[in-house]
Amino acid sequence: MELLKRYLQAVGEHLPRRGREDTLAELRANLESEMEGREEELGRTLTEAEVASILEAHGMPVLVASRYGSQHFLIGPSLFPVYWYTLKRSFPLVVLAYSVVQIAVMFLGSGIPGDLGHQIGAALGHFPGVALTFWGIMTLGFAVFEYGQGRFFPKMTLPKWSVRDLPPLERGEEKKHSFANGIADLIVSVAMIAWLLAVPNHPYLILGPGVKILHGMPFGLTPEWRVFYWQIMGLLVAMVPLKVAALLPAMRRARGWLDLAVSALGVMILVVMVQVRTLFVANATVSAESMRSLAGINAGITVGLKIALAISIVNLGRDLWKEISAGQHRRADFAAVL
Amino acid sequence: MDRTIKDEATRNSGGRDAVSGELFDSLRLELRRGCLVLAVLAQLHEEHYGYTLRRSLSEAGLEIEESTLYPLLRRLETQGLLASEWREEERRNKRFYRLSAEGERIFGLLLAEWNRINDSLNRIVHKRR
Repeated sequence: MELLKRYLQAVGEHLPRRGREDTLAELRANLESEMEGREEELGRTLTEAEVASILEAHGMPVLVASRYGSQHFLIGPSLFPVYWYTLKRSFPLVVLAYSVVQIAVMFLGSGIPGDLGHQIGAALGHFPGVALTFWGIMTLGFAVFEYGQGRFFPKMTLPKWSVRDLPPLERGEEKKHSFANGIADLIVSVAMIAWLLAVPNHPYLILGPGVKILHGMPFGLTPEWRVFYWQIMGLLVAMVPLKVAALLPAMRRARGWLDLAVSALGVMILVVMVQVRTLFVANATVSAESMRSLAGINAGITVGLKIALAISIVNLGRDLWKEISAGQHRRADFAAVL
Repeated sequence: MDRTIKDEATRNSGGRDAVSGELFDSLRLELRRGCLVLAVLAQLHEEHYGYTLRRSLSEAGLEIEESTLYPLLRRLETQGLLASEWREEERRNKRFYRLSAEGERIFGLLLAEWNRINDSLNRIVHKRR
């Protein structure tokens, strides 16, 4: 019987304190009855090996004890889909928040462009820790909620929903709007704005070591750029809230129009740039040949910008037409369903 | 008996397959889970303690592991479907279980549901054959 006592002691170590003695007494009575039954069948006392075999068949102590626990999971099957959905939807937002903070620190904080590679490496290196912390906090929050519901507050009930409230059917082309793509686009936009804000003070960011060569050149950017620069920056900043709005589930129906508004702002940026007829001017007296070359460069860039503007306007018109047609289709589908 | 079912499953799956065996085990476990509750409730119209209940279920053809049955009894008691009392029998204290009034009511409902499912399944399976 020493094996039985050792077995019960091992099971008891993993049982909840409350009701432990009661459970062990019941388990002992059942196991002893089983052993007696086996002895009756064999007509003799059980050997130690046979007792061990019965106890081993009953199960590993930690597993046996776990089955007496009231809760076997951190997050139960009814809450798990909500947990998983929240985790999936909020993770890109964590990436976004982390990226925005890191970008702001990189470009606006230290102002030491030489450290950029280092800073990017450090930011990437720290991200797994941030992601794990986020996951841990979310999991802990849901586990506490799971434990508390029914004990300290009413159980969660699913909100009422109607199939009519579901978003309209997405057509093939509309499926490109994934949440992760939207977040990535937003991160790139913010990085670009931060980069453009930092460039005037740190030309190194745009030209790298070439900035030293530029200092020796007889050309420079036209002073008009100071005006156009802020116009372009304003248009780029105006894109950010539109891109954020396009990520919101509530704005799903308006996503096509938000994308169009972003494209329209992009066209306006090109319009501003096309207005800058002279992009580069001579700093000092230069030869007539150099002046002709400079005029050629300016004209070439202006033509390039005009072509880009024309293409962008055509694309914008095409997207606008598609959005209007899609809206008409959706209304027709809805009417057909009704 | 369980082993026979499993062996049959392994034979039918062409022996490929630990995977098929695992899948069968998992599906069988799901299938049995609700049935075991029904069987335990049915058997506890008469008073039993853990060991004799397990034996009576086994004699009726339903094998159930001790480590599954004993915690199940506790859970059903916590849910108010069983009532229990400690009593001495054959010079040993044992915990005897019996169906409570609520247990009787729920058992009636579950049995009706089981019969409905069983009838439907029989119709579906026989139709296929």
